Amino acid sequence: MGLESLYPDYDVLALQDEWDANTRQIVKQRLGPFEFKLLSHWQQGMIKALARQLACEGRDEVLTWIAFHVETELGKPQGEAQRKPGIPPRKELILAGLDALDNWAKAKFFKGFLSLKEAQQLEFLQLLEVGGLPQEEGWDVERQKELFKKLAGLVITAHYSHPWVWSEIGYGGPAYPRGYVRVELGLVDPWEPKQAEWS
Amino acid sequence: MAEKVSVQHNCDHYDRERHPHLRKRKYGGQEVDAVIVGLGAAGGVLLYELAKAGLSVVGIEAGPFWDPQTDFASDELHAQSLAWNDTRLSTGQNALQFGANNSGRGVGGGTVHFTGVFYRFHESDFRVRTLDGAAEDWPITYADLAPYYAKIEEEIKVSGPREFPWGAFHGPYPYPERSPISGNAEIFRRGCAALGIRSTVAPLAILSAPFDGRPPCINRGFCNQGCLPNAKFSTLIHHVPKAIGLGAEVLTDCMVTRILVDKGGRVTGVEFNHDGQFYAQKAKVVIVSAFAVETPRLLLNSACSQFPEGLANSSGLVGKYLMPHSGHDVYARFDQEIRLYKGTPVLAVSQDFYETDLSRGFIRGYSLHAHGARPVGMAVKAATNAGIWGKKLREIMLHWNFYARITLVGEVLPEATNCVTLSEEKDEYGLPRAQVHFAYGENDQKLIAHGIQKCQEILAAAGGRDAFVVPDSAHLMGGCRMGKDPSTSVVNEFCRSHDIPNLYICDASVFVTSGAANPTETVMALAARTADQIIAQGKR
Ligand SMILES: Cc1cc2nc3c(=O)[nH]c(=O)nc-3n(C[C@H](O)[C@H](O)[C@H](O)COP(=O)(O)OP(=O)(O)OC[C@H]3O[C@@H](n4cnc5c(N)ncnc54)[C@H](O)[C@@H]3O)c2cc1C
Ligand code: SF4
Repeated sequence: MGLESLYPDYDVLALQDEWDANTRQIVKQRLGPFEFKLLSHWQQGMIKALARQLACEGRDEVLTWIAFHVETELGKPQGEAQRKPGIPPRKELILAGLDALDNWAKAKFFKGFLSLKEAQQLEFLQLLEVGGLPQEEGWDVERQKELFKKLAGLVITAHYSHPWVWSEIGYGGPAYPRGYVRVELGLVDPWEPKQAEWS
Repeated sequence: MAEKVSVQHNCDHYDRERHPHLRKRKYGGQEVDAVIVGLGAAGGVLLYELAKAGLSVVGIEAGPFWDPQTDFASDELHAQSLAWNDTRLSTGQNALQFGANNSGRGVGGGTVHFTGVFYRFHESDFRVRTLDGAAEDWPITYADLAPYYAKIEEEIKVSGPREFPWGAFHGPYPYPERSPISGNAEIFRRGCAALGIRSTVAPLAILSAPFDGRPPCINRGFCNQGCLPNAKFSTLIHHVPKAIGLGAEVLTDCMVTRILVDKGGRVTGVEFNHDGQFYAQKAKVVIVSAFAVETPRLLLNSACSQFPEGLANSSGLVGKYLMPHSGHDVYARFDQEIRLYKGTPVLAVSQDFYETDLSRGFIRGYSLHAHGARPVGMAVKAATNAGIWGKKLREIMLHWNFYARITLVGEVLPEATNCVTLSEEKDEYGLPRAQVHFAYGENDQKLIAHGIQKCQEILAAAGGRDAFVVPDSAHLMGGCRMGKDPSTSVVNEFCRSHDIPNLYICDASVFVTSGAANPTETVMALAARTADQIIAQGKR
């Protein structure tokens, strides 16, 4: 199975006049421009590199939105829903985690994480997911796994909140006030994404 | 991103007055008949019923008074703001996820972003000890709740099938069943039919025809993000505004931090915090309806010299016997488009595996739901709960319109070790954060395995392949269970605490067992029954 969109002619943003104003405003902000205040240039680069692997996404605009979402969430005073005891708060965990990944990269390949090949970056993430990186400076199995989970959660949330990705996957997107008239199996409303002829 | 903050933080609401501050209180400084902590499913019903009976009542809610038109959006990410996001420490083999997965924050509580599946419990759910030799019996039976189930269904016009084949209630429902059903629901029903499993259209707290100035559902599928057209019931749009019309006062963005106790050991009201300032509300009766984590937390955090182990806790059981439902999702790919995003998420269900059948090797059972999905929900859970990310996830999501999904609602047996306690960490009010421990037991695991297998069979029978499973849980119940014996339960059959005669605890925390059905109709029926009892007591 390929990684191409089955709906190349569909653009969810072309439907935006049908959305309620609040939703339209919220969604369009994901297209930028973004003003970063919390994450340094290097930290943004790290998040983007990680997101490239986690979300399998190559477009810089989408990756920048993902980094911006991470920044927004880390800057919020609200809680993080749940955390394991002994694991630092999310912001601390993630920012320290970026440094740790860089240090691990330097220890193993004598260069920073961002200078690694993509396949090497991917391998780091696969190890992080199961807690398989060196257990130094408090980075035990549990903490590595939690870092992976929190990062993956933020990155994937942002990725599938981007309207370009909605278009690609053939998601109807915001549907208020219009709703759906034809919901039965096999039926679609005239404006919904349709597969391209050749697929 | 300077996301527009459209929530208007008015905090005081009564008699057509609304104030962004607490300087014009209706009942400030007075002792009211009752104060209710938390205006979710239970709190909303209690507020309404008590106000209707002419009692002076104040509802205090930690979150905002949402305006669906400006505060909700057709967007998954935005909807995360509707959840109770305060950090809870989560431990155990199957540590629970909170936030949007579990609790709402704001008027309506969990009903704002619930899916609207509206079930009665079965008769057996109240007698698990007697029938299956495990857990505990409730101090009430199905018959005690039956009139309240009927009352709630009628009041909010539940829509449902002409004939509901399971449990003690077979319909009819006040409003006709939803029609048409979604592609995903259709696939589920076809798979069930091929295997001889009975299925029906879901009973829903979602309108199938106009009611009370509200339109029927337009099938946007955003029920878990808050319903914009108000087709889905919530106490935010039903009970609470009606209660205000009947004289109740509602305080929002007000976090109750302590229940106050006099020297004689009776409660006298609550302390709450608004915008960094502490206030008090005096009341003859205090009702805690803050949901399964915050209710025990508040009772424990209200420890005082009279009750050093926390309020209503002479049994030591406050916080214990917490139960989620197992809520595993099974996805399978089809050759035709299913389009999981369309239509009310749950439109078809089966309870053929609800009751104990010992030949399966475990007791109790589960419900099965054809369950829609949206991209963020599907992708994030796949990545964090099932280890599906990167290229594999992208490939699945590029074909996500070809996936169908069935979700399990599995009974979880109560265990004392699954509990809410106080942690060492403090929140912004200086109160210890909740720590929640959870692990499935052996029976729960067997039940889950059976349920997953059934989901896979149904999907395969309908033509699905390449199935994958995303472990998940849903709903929370227990933590202040009801019972006859004060040494083994926290409240009596009317949700009154055994220890303190004017303290009531009424929400999902009083559940003794979890059943295999979504809990909110039972929460609301219990609240209506408790309200009747409080009103009757007041008249005496
Ligand atoms: C995604 C999702 C889908 C669901 N789908 C279904 C479904 O289809 N069917 C079903 O039956 N159930 C469903 N549920 C479950 C349902 O939401 C709960 O069962 C129900 O809301 C519980 O009611 P409650 O009154 O116990 O608590 P809640 O409704 O959670 O209300 C508690 C309220 O108390 C407030 N509060 C807490 N602490 C304080 C404090 N200290 N001071 C002041 N206020 C406080 C909270 O902000 C909240 O508003 C779903 C839940 C979720 C999260
Ligand atoms: S599917 Fe229906 S009930 Fe659910 S949010 Fe949309 S309009 Fe409301």
